[in-house]
Amino acid sequence: MSILANKDTRVVIQGGQAGVNAARRMAEFSYLIKRPLNVEAFVYPPDAGKTNEIPYGSGLLAIPVYKSIAEATKHHPAINTSLVYIGADRAMKGGLEALDDSHIKVVSMITEGVPEKDAKLLGTHARKLGKVFNGPSSIGIISAGACRLGVIGGAFDNLVLSKLYREGSFGVITKSGGLSNEIIWICSQFADGITTAIGIGGDAYPGTDYVSYLEMFENDPQTKAVIIVGEMGGDLEERAAEWYGARKRRIKLIGVVSGFCQESLPKGMKFGHAGAKEGMKGEGSARSKSDALKKAGAIVPATFGALGPAIKETYQDLLKSGQVKEPVEPAVLPKLPKSIEEAMKADEVMVAPLIRTTISDDRGDEPCYDGYPASELINKGYEIPHVIGLLWDKRLISKQEAEIIKRIMMLSADHGPCVSGAYATILAACAGIGLSQAVAAGLIMIGPRFGGAVTDAGRYFKYAVDQKMTVDEFLAHMKKHVGPVPGIGHRVKSLRNPDKRVKELVGYVKSLNIKTPCLDFALEVEKVTAVKKDNLILNVDGTMAAVLVDIGFPVDSLNGFFILSRTIGLIGHWVDQKRQDSRLIRLFDYLVNYAAPKRREVPPLK
Amino acid sequence: MAKVLEGPGMGLMKKWGIAVPNYVVVTSADELAKLGQANDWMKQTKLVAKAHEALGSRFKLGLVKVGLDLNGAVAAAKEMIGRHVGSITVSQVIVSEMIPHKEEYYCAVKSTREGSEVLVANCGGIEVESNWERVKRLTLDVGQSPTADSLEKLAKDAGFTGPLAKKMADFAGKMFTCFDSEDAQYLEVNPVVTRESDGELVALDAVTLLDGDAKFRHPDWNFQFAAEFGRAYSREEMEVMAVDSKIKGSVKFIEIPGGDTAMLPAGGGASVYYSDAVVARGGKLANYAEYSGDPPDWAVEVLTDKVCSLPGIKNIIVGGAIANFTDVKKTFGGIINGFRKAKSEGKLKNVKIWVRRGGPREKEGLDAMRALKDEGFDIHVYDRNTPLTDIVDKALQTK
Repeated sequence: MSILANKDTRVVIQGGQAGVNAARRMAEFSYLIKRPLNVEAFVYPPDAGKTNEIPYGSGLLAIPVYKSIAEATKHHPAINTSLVYIGADRAMKGGLEALDDSHIKVVSMITEGVPEKDAKLLGTHARKLGKVFNGPSSIGIISAGACRLGVIGGAFDNLVLSKLYREGSFGVITKSGGLSNEIIWICSQFADGITTAIGIGGDAYPGTDYVSYLEMFENDPQTKAVIIVGEMGGDLEERAAEWYGARKRRIKLIGVVSGFCQESLPKGMKFGHAGAKEGMKGEGSARSKSDALKKAGAIVPATFGALGPAIKETYQDLLKSGQVKEPVEPAVLPKLPKSIEEAMKADEVMVAPLIRTTISDDRGDEPCYDGYPASELINKGYEIPHVIGLLWDKRLISKQEAEIIKRIMMLSADHGPCVSGAYATILAACAGIGLSQAVAAGLIMIGPRFGGAVTDAGRYFKYAVDQKMTVDEFLAHMKKHVGPVPGIGHRVKSLRNPDKRVKELVGYVKSLNIKTPCLDFALEVEKVTAVKKDNLILNVDGTMAAVLVDIGFPVDSLNGFFILSRTIGLIGHWVDQKRQDSRLIRLFDYLVNYAAPKRREVPPLK
Repeated sequence: MAKVLEGPGMGLMKKWGIAVPNYVVVTSADELAKLGQANDWMKQTKLVAKAHEALGSRFKLGLVKVGLDLNGAVAAAKEMIGRHVGSITVSQVIVSEMIPHKEEYYCAVKSTREGSEVLVANCGGIEVESNWERVKRLTLDVGQSPTADSLEKLAKDAGFTGPLAKKMADFAGKMFTCFDSEDAQYLEVNPVVTRESDGELVALDAVTLLDGDAKFRHPDWNFQFAAEFGRAYSREEMEVMAVDSKIKGSVKFIEIPGGDTAMLPAGGGASVYYSDAVVARGGKLANYAEYSGDPPDWAVEVLTDKVCSLPGIKNIIVGGAIANFTDVKKTFGGIINGFRKAKSEGKLKNVKIWVRRGGPREKEGLDAMRALKDEGFDIHVYDRNTPLTDIVDKALQTK
């Protein structure tokens, strides 16, 4: 048996994430005792209509979220208990809503910091309706082997260690969350464990008192003894003592009270719980409470440390008198499946990774590029070309190489609005398309006819150099197998109208006195092709390609330089159009050659 | 509970129609002199000057002066501001008009488990404490307001007669309205006096305890709460409070000068048992502290820093029960960082550290604590199999 929470308890949780976390803990307990999850619904208006996913064993349960208690109990008429996890400023409204629903008999409020007046109103309202309002600031209620309400009992390992999977003989009532677990643990070590443990909350005026619960325990034949953990402040312990001493009780009462230290501390000092404050003239002090309990015939250990032995002694008496029997432990207990993360941490599973990366790692406090922390690179003077070197070629390039890359990027950042990439971005910007899509539209234009020749140019120049071809052999090879030489030829520039960017880049690279076999070869090729036609000159793509191959970048990365640098320009064009609030572009009729058939009659449909 | 100083307390009473003397709260004598030029009442009536701090027995300390003229009040303010009393420095003075009166009465409203009580006595000042049986009370359920008749009956029961009974009933009614509307837990006026000039009942003093948890519905509570134990909060205590107000979970810290056993326990309930164990063993607490509700590790680190900085400590008790959901590894991480910082600053010399804890990730947390031994800490770590407060016994045995 148990009180307040049993096998028939069906729960609605009022609240958001904190409530979901509690439901997860409750599902762990349900799994341990091999019963279905007792949470049937959530009430949380912002998420109404959705479901919360609660792990149960290795599966997932979808628990619906409703807008109101009425809606929840309409769909789940078995609900008889509400756990309140909503914020202190809305807790009273939520608590009243639950109390006023005819399905709900018990409301346990977990919320901390609820104004005293609100808590008192809730308590009074519940008593008027003949219901139980537990809390606020309650850690929850747990009945061994039957039902868990809230996070009381702690993590799964602790549930097992404290033998909460099966019923014992001791009831527990505490104000403190942490101590409830401690007492449950002690009961499992020094005796046969608990029936029900209740956190009544540490506030000054909790919605219920010890007496109402002691009455319930007295009427639960399984409970043989009850432990109350009190603290100074209020008079709940004195009332419990009065109840216990009023007549012969079936249950034994064991009580400890904290706050003796107050006798030697500054008056008015505030302790952990809001309720822990001594009244005037020593009333509500730890000593007066302890004395009252002792006088009423309760067992009152001198210190908290003596509680374990006191419980043990009580248990031995119960065994001797035949009131309880030694519990039989189940042979096998369910084990909570570990999450992949936990199992990996414990070296229990090996997972085949989905993807593999060899360049970057962001799992620490900052990303590392090929092993180098980003901030350290910055602070030691490295720049964007070095990051490119690390992420595209997994090497720390030299200062000189970085300078070449910087120049390449600056020279190819933008080539005006008329080139296909920029035009596409502008078109998209004028159509009201967002930055990333508009820039992507521009980047999509990069291909064999626009900027996308860099990779191919690099590939073929490198091939020729590697094969030690002569220019004539190369041109013959290209003509036969490939077609026009990528990187050679320009639409508007020619020998008579040379491309300053190419001249500039070639001049700079040549001035460095480094080996540039690809560039040299490309320039030899130009000499031959330009004679054939004066616009068959080495263009920017070809120059970039040759230089980048010469400094060692992999051929497959080369178009990336164009994509990266041109992105700067494309973003500029998008922002420019946006700032001008440019109108939607429609192509003018006169720019179109309407070569479609003339207007004619539509034949009848056959 | 949150105590409010006299100035803001009187402000709240005035808001609900209770007559209070004219008053000003100043932080310098110059400010008071200027206010004196601008406010006629300060020139026309006798004045009272009091140190406006959470201090007990101000009268004895010479921090209350009566029957002053404006110059006298300015001089009194000059003398009081900046005075050191124990751990605090007087920073504010409240100057109010003296209300000539003959009779003194008592009125209070307090929170009870069932609702509230209105208390009235036909005597006032220190006379009330010695004549507690003369205090009459009206008990009210939560949500219930007193009727005019019930208040008049209360006043008559307390010995008020004639028109004064009606006036007192009216005064008590306003007190209740103030109590109820302001989410107060205790309101006391002692003494209530009859102002000779117009016969109206005036509140000469205000003890105001508000429900700090209700702050969210009182945007006009623009004052700071004061400590309840006869001294102001220290800088360290204020810093921990500031952290506490920012985080999920809680951290609490109160200094107790002269102690040698520092507390760094987890949980509002367990922390008091740890304190009890220290006192029971004849130890002297250097502080009260507590963290709970799975606070972030940096908040626990701040708390640890304050605990390690307490002067003259010999033991630190890092106690705790078996946590429900506070991550032991993570919160211990904050404590460990705090310990390392303290040690690097030359603190913790000859200080023994005692640890006992359970809860989520207890093994990892306790292992991390144990590893501090290798860094030269004098640390003793126990798990859930050691009863809760046994580490206190062990710590204090070794003295």
